[in-house]
Amino acid sequence: MNDTGTIWTRKFMTNRLLQRKQIVIDVLHPGKATAPKTEIWKKQAKIYMTTPDAIFVFGFRTHFGGGKTIGFGMIYDSLDYEKKNDPKHRLVRHGLYEKTSRKQRKEHKNRRKKKVGRSAMAKVGAAKNEL
Amino acid sequence: LLARGKGGDEVLESDLPRAVALLKNLQEQVMAVTAQIQALTKKVQARTYPTEKGLSLLEVKDQLLLMYLMDLSHLILDKASGGSLQGHAAVLRLVEIRTVLEKIRPLDQKLKYQIDKLVKTAVTGSLSENDPLRFKPHPSNMMSKLSSEDEEDEAEEGQSGAAGKKSANGAVKKYVPPRLVPVHYDETEAEREKKRLERAKRRALSSSVIRELKEQYSDAPEEIRDARHPHVTRQSQEDQHRINYEESMMVRLSVSKREKGRRKRANVMSSQLHSLTHFSDISALTGETPHLDEDQNPIKKRKKIPKKGRKKKGFRRRR
Repeated sequence: MNDTGTIWTRKFMTNRLLQRKQIVIDVLHPGKATAPKTEIWKKQAKIYMTTPDAIFVFGFRTHFGGGKTIGFGMIYDSLDYEKKNDPKHRLVRHGLYEKTSRKQRKEHKNRRKKKVGRSAMAKVGAAKNEL
Repeated sequence: LLARGKGGDEVLESDLPRAVALLKNLQEQVMAVTAQIQALTKKVQARTYPTEKGLSLLEVKDQLLLMYLMDLSHLILDKASGGSLQGHAAVLRLVEIRTVLEKIRPLDQKLKYQIDKLVKTAVTGSLSENDPLRFKPHPSNMMSKLSSEDEEDEAEEGQSGAAGKKSANGAVKKYVPPRLVPVHYDETEAEREKKRLERAKRRALSSSVIRELKEQYSDAPEEIRDARHPHVTRQSQEDQHRINYEESMMVRLSVSKREKGRRKRANVMSSQLHSLTHFSDISALTGETPHLDEDQNPIKKRKKIPKKGRKKKGFRRRR
């Protein structure tokens, strides 16, 4: 616990619509460098007694002069809700989502355009958007 | 009355002729009343009093008040001659009339203005021009007559109570939002300067230097208010606003170059020592040249930035 300094949580809010709890995390670490995200992540998982998978921490900013860092945390009810509601870039950070590269996606789309007609393409596009 | 007449006859023989005269009088009066009522009934049946549109409120009130009086006097008569009021039919009638009158009262309130005006007209004969009772809406004032609408409408709007909105005239024009109070704009450079000076003077009057002087020379007791941060600048307020937004929305906002420059300038200015001696600008009162505070921008023309960069509408405050 004392390696990373004191961790306080503020502004605890239960977000029922997205099935998660949102907190603002204050880390006090006078005289030391900013704690890495992974350590804070593990600590929070222990405090809230969930698997580390269901917690996200992000957005850490250290104040000028050091000593205090403020970030955000989200604690999901379960992994399923997390996969549904969380933005993709955060899921990638936890390895729960593999983002195909942009170039790949565009090439794929163009290849399909050649093979299939336009209306069918529109249907496929709609299906892809739903994903 | 006949019984009383008989009793009078038995008791006092001298009253007999008077009683007979009274009875005769009564008979005549009764006949007159009957004749009148018959005439009235005939008139009603001949439909000289049309009531398809109902009775006027004032008539109803009159009739009700009259009936009330009649019932009341009947009751007084009965009570005076020793009868009891218990379950008297007149009491019920009185109650009914009273209820109706009270229900009519709010209607009466609403009509009060009209009735007052009529009465006043009837009494004085005519109304003066600036009569405050003349607040009727004048739709003709709302139409714009010519292109030079300002002067005419202004004068007429002064008369009628509410300021009417001006609608654009006729032909297909670009929609111009209506201005409620037309004011002629011709502010010259000199006037602008004067306004700026006035604003600076007002700000200087409420600055800390002047306030301390006031406290020194006034007799009022010293007030201790809740001490906000004495060096709260515009930049620090904006920073606080940003922090509040970020923590409630759980996002991190990006800092534009302009914002970064402003922040740096604020830090630099506040870390210099000249702010020690120039803590408030009272040059407006002393007549010296004003010196720029840390959060005031020097007056220079800003280039028009493309709107594309301004995405975060929720947070962006007007500059």
